Amino acid sequence: MLEVIIETHSLTKNYGPHVALDSIDLKIRSGATGLLGPNGAGKSTLIKTLLGLIQLTSGDGSVLGYNIKTEGDMIRQRIGYMPEYDCLTPEMNAVDQVKYCGELTGMNTSSAHRRAHEVLEYVGLMEARTRQIETYSTGMAQATKLACAIVHDPQLVICDEPTNGLDTKARSFMLDTLFQVVKQGGRSILMSSHMMDDVERVCERMLMIHKGKLIAQGKIEDLKAIDREIEISVWGGADKMETGLKDAGMKPRRSGRVMRVVRIDETTYDRVLEIAAKEGVQIRRMEDYEPSLEDLFLVIMERLGYTVKTSSDLLQTQPTARAVAPAPSRPGGEF
Amino acid sequence: MDDLFDDFDDMVAKKHQTEGGVSTPTTPDSAPAASEATREAEFMGEAGLAVTGQSRMEAAFGSGEGDDTAVAQVAKIASDTSVGKIFHQVYRPWNGKLNTRWVRNWAILRYHIYGLFSKGHKPWPVMTKLVLFGVLITSLGDLVLLAVGAASGTEEISRLAGISRGNLYGHVLSFWFRNACTYPIVTALIIGGIISEDRRNGTSALYFSRPVNRRDYAAMKYLSVATILGVVVLFTLFAYYVGAILVNGEGWAYLIDTGLLFLGAFAAGTILVITYTSIGVALSSISQGKFFPAVSFLGLILGTKMVAFLIFWLFESSAIYLISPYDNVAHVGQWMLGLNYTYEHPASWSLVMLLVINAVSLYILSARVSSLEVTRE
Repeated sequence: MLEVIIETHSLTKNYGPHVALDSIDLKIRSGATGLLGPNGAGKSTLIKTLLGLIQLTSGDGSVLGYNIKTEGDMIRQRIGYMPEYDCLTPEMNAVDQVKYCGELTGMNTSSAHRRAHEVLEYVGLMEARTRQIETYSTGMAQATKLACAIVHDPQLVICDEPTNGLDTKARSFMLDTLFQVVKQGGRSILMSSHMMDDVERVCERMLMIHKGKLIAQGKIEDLKAIDREIEISVWGGADKMETGLKDAGMKPRRSGRVMRVVRIDETTYDRVLEIAAKEGVQIRRMEDYEPSLEDLFLVIMERLGYTVKTSSDLLQTQPTARAVAPAPSRPGGEF
Repeated sequence: MDDLFDDFDDMVAKKHQTEGGVSTPTTPDSAPAASEATREAEFMGEAGLAVTGQSRMEAAFGSGEGDDTAVAQVAKIASDTSVGKIFHQVYRPWNGKLNTRWVRNWAILRYHIYGLFSKGHKPWPVMTKLVLFGVLITSLGDLVLLAVGAASGTEEISRLAGISRGNLYGHVLSFWFRNACTYPIVTALIIGGIISEDRRNGTSALYFSRPVNRRDYAAMKYLSVATILGVVVLFTLFAYYVGAILVNGEGWAYLIDTGLLFLGAFAAGTILVITYTSIGVALSSISQGKFFPAVSFLGLILGTKMVAFLIFWLFESSAIYLISPYDNVAHVGQWMLGLNYTYEHPASWSLVMLLVINAVSLYILSARVSSLEVTRE
């Protein structure tokens, strides 16, 4: 069992009448965790809370074993934070900037200087480390921000939209680097992002917040299981097959000869085959449809709402209770 | 390591075999080996062998051994080559010990002050450095004058520039030239971006996401400005006083006579530094650029003085000078040095006004630093 690095109980933060965080109960284990949520969901407030920077309205919590209400300094000494927005001094070079960040955390000047070179090499800026930051591309600036975050080798790195504004190559490198921090460095990452693919590529776990409420947390694989479907390609009577599936109460979604039905359990495959045999339709292909994190995000947001809090809650929810979106009217259209 | 030695042994054995062994011909028709071909190429025709030129080429360019399997080494364009991954990403842990709060605060202070004369710290603009240097030299003008007087033996100069209530006051609080031109301009240049640039560049996130609290941040910024201004105002005052004693060869009695005057001037200078710093840092905290705080500081110091001066001439009431931070400091300084007042209202009013100005400035500073964000502005 992995160590719990972040734990909160009924964490609530109000800004006047606006509830930014609403009774959030978190339990984040070491490793890489994605923090998902639309704009205004409360991600930034949650990050500031975890950094021990804002006064809570109610509730309690700990990060790396330190109380977020009373031991903010201790937490921030052990956390590396990579902000979403520009936070670098344009007239400085990367080595001096990273060194200064190390000194602000409490490192000796000589240690910070040596370590600055090390981490800049690690993030791929070895050759450009003495250039002024104002001459950097967006990718290089993001890499410098990451170097600033890991200069003191923190136990936990909080990354706020680390791939913001990056092209494909730089984005891939940034994600690889973050992945290496976890796999090779043995450190933990809490990564806030709008990019589902990014989270899926780096993180094993995720938590999702919406309007200040925690609506899902757990392993991404577990959470994906709530929206498992079977995709079938039929030949010779797609209409008949669709009717047969509907008659069996399976609510298929169809696009041409391709259909998807909710996978309730192992018997679903047999039932589909039985219906096909009964209708005299060939099944050319039948396989599990793997939902993307984006699918999952939409499912949770639209169908489950606030009542779900953990992955176990989600898994206990009956799949048949979910409304299935109608198939697109245009032929050949995607689901 | 063992593998390396094994490889080396293999290479040595192969080399010995090549040197000691007999070379064998590689082409069936040209029987002589490469070494023989080198010697006998001229006579192969006479010996009845076919002269193809091959032996001559082999003699010239190589042994011929293995040439049939050799692959030409030609330059390739970068996209065709697979040179492997040179950049190797290795995460190295750091096991050092992190220091305490005061070391972190010292890092902030050092970053700002060392930046004036050293790379690797706050990148102050060149103009700021030049002006600061110029003002520092100018502030030592009275000491230079004193030295010239002593060196030339001109008593008038020595009396004019020597230590007195008026000269000590003048070094710190004279309006013309120091408080009209040099000290406010230096302050404006220093405070210009001291906090506003953190807001503009978002560097406040780097401070507050680390174990630096806002009180320490504001205090160190304040102290940085105060230290730089202190060097310009107070260090030069100290240099002037000590220099005057040394140049004139004065003794302990003189030191005792003038010591309190010096302390009074030093205290007045400290009030000036504190007041200018408070106002300047507060202005810097409410903006996002260098220009606004610098110009508004100059406007506040010189503008209030000008307005008060004009109103005073119209209504002949010196109380209007209470709106001017400089005049309040000057009034209190006159009181501290025992000089004749140039203001009609009580010095205590100026002292109270100074306290109010500083309190309001510190309140603004505190409120604005609290609003500096970590996540976004």
